[in-house]
Amino acid sequence: MLKIGFGPQGAVVIEGRLDAAQAAAAQSFLDTVSGPTTLDCTALEYISSAGLGVLLKTQKRLRANAGQLQLTGVNRHVHDIFRYAGFDQIFEISAAS
Amino acid sequence: MTVAQTFPARLEALADLVAFTATGLAHEGVDPHLLTTVDFVLEELFTNVVKYGSRASTTPVTVQVGLQAVPGGIEVVLTADGVDDFDVTQAPQVNTSLPIEQRRPGGLGLHLIRRLVDSIEYQYQVPQQRSRVTFRKTSA
Repeated sequence: MLKIGFGPQGAVVIEGRLDAAQAAAAQSFLDTVSGPTTLDCTALEYISSAGLGVLLKTQKRLRANAGQLQLTGVNRHVHDIFRYAGFDQIFEISAAS
Repeated sequence: MTVAQTFPARLEALADLVAFTATGLAHEGVDPHLLTTVDFVLEELFTNVVKYGSRASTTPVTVQVGLQAVPGGIEVVLTADGVDDFDVTQAPQVNTSLPIEQRRPGGLGLHLIRRLVDSIEYQYQVPQQRSRVTFRKTSA
């Protein structure tokens, strides 16, 4: 399952599994954000290429409008996937502490 | 295969596939740290069948997934009946160093799985229109 919404600090908080079955729901939410946006991935357990596509599409849209998506609290597995996909070149990423 | 289950080639079956994989790896006594990687590879292969595998078929496509422990890890076999011949091991490489303006999400999943597994093989049987992908992942 996937949960996505705004946290108390204004960041977008994503929890659970961002897979092919959940990608459309995540995209629908992220299509509503604008400007500099932090995506708190502390509770993001898993991401597949469908989820990577959601983040890439969102980053392209935000950057075209003077914004960007910053990814925080990324766990080791998800960070590895980001790195293999070259996302460390196109996102500001901070790992989980 | 020690444990196996058949799934309809529909996106809605993904949750059942994830549950089966978690149960199967535990049943086989496989290092649980391998689970997320096995999930990733299986999802990419399964959704590839869902999206592209059934153009030639008039009957619903099914996918059988089998799991078997091997020294230090797991061997997974994904068999799909009634699908076109598409060798996932020969999918084009993706240039992951391109700037964002030139990046496209398509093909990234099949590109990544080759990096994540120890080995991957593809076979296709014409009479049955049956594809069979075998991959291994170990802790090494």
